[in-house]
Amino acid sequence: MTAWRRENTGDLAAFERIMSQYERRVLGVALRLLSNPHDAQDAAQEVFLRLYKHLGDLDETRGYEPWLYRVTVNICRDIARGRRRSIGLEEVPDQIAPQPDAYHDAERAQRREIVRRGLSCLGEKERAALVLRDVEGLSTREVAGILGSSENTVRSQISTARVKLRDFTGRLLRRRS
Amino acid sequence: MSCSKFETDIALYAGGDLPDGRIARVASHLAECADCRALADELRAEQALLGELRDEPLDDAMLAAVRQRVMAKVSAKTRQPSRLYWSLALAAALILAAVLGRPRHQTKRVPVARVEPAHVAPAPRPHLVAVRHRVVRPRRRRPDAPAAQPRPPLLVQFVTDDPNIVIYWLVDQKPQGD
Repeated sequence: MTAWRRENTGDLAAFERIMSQYERRVLGVALRLLSNPHDAQDAAQEVFLRLYKHLGDLDETRGYEPWLYRVTVNICRDIARGRRRSIGLEEVPDQIAPQPDAYHDAERAQRREIVRRGLSCLGEKERAALVLRDVEGLSTREVAGILGSSENTVRSQISTARVKLRDFTGRLLRRRS
Repeated sequence: MSCSKFETDIALYAGGDLPDGRIARVASHLAECADCRALADELRAEQALLGELRDEPLDDAMLAAVRQRVMAKVSAKTRQPSRLYWSLALAAALILAAVLGRPRHQTKRVPVARVEPAHVAPAPRPHLVAVRHRVVRPRRRRPDAPAAQPRPPLLVQFVTDDPNIVIYWLVDQKPQGD
């Protein structure tokens, strides 16, 4: 019996195992889409509550990741629209503290942080397309399926987002130097 | 064609998303334009950074908080009776109320006029009379009569002291010859 089926019979432990398998990915995507830890936690919580509610409706053979990505993007979009606030370049602090995880060297960590901040300056659809394509590593077709768009639309959003992000990081690096 | 018109295609080319039909034209331009090659290199570098974001460790406390909140809500849901349970309970209550509230077979009470004892005449005591009785038997038949002949009923006559009252009682007799 699979974890899904066990969960359908009311096994909370099985659901918790499923959640532990995907929680990092869901929370990570929510963080990159919302740029706010509290909002991202709220979004991830809602994603898994919906997962619990719709477990019986999901087709196991099609996999859960596309469903989780789609629901995560939709919930983050709703939260972002409710917040109705985007971060402009001027609001990004010059001093961006590197992450304390010592992931690679400090300079690279700082650049990742700049890129992360740059994501928050993108438009909602461009950001979602870029996060799914370049951060999550999904194919253009998969991204199009998740976002409910055509592949051409996704390509357009990705190219625009990449150029904007490159402009953002270039301007920020020039300002700091 | 100016470099700005190549910008979006270079962004796709750097990530491997450019359709096959446009790759040759962009590659040809990159071969002769140093600025666009630099742009392509910057875009690739940023894509590499974006890819690293996926593997960045997340704060375990954040993950634990989300999991705790979700499991608390899910556990509460499983403890609560389902909507089906409440629907069935409501249906059972309605059926019970309908059964108990159904009017039973009641005889309509007719108001009876109350009669004052003073207006009621005393009932006459029944006049008991002595009863005598006599059995009127038909004549006996001779012994050589054929057997098992149906016999007429026996007539019993009760005579009372009142000459106006005589009681007759018919009693079936056994067939003759049994």
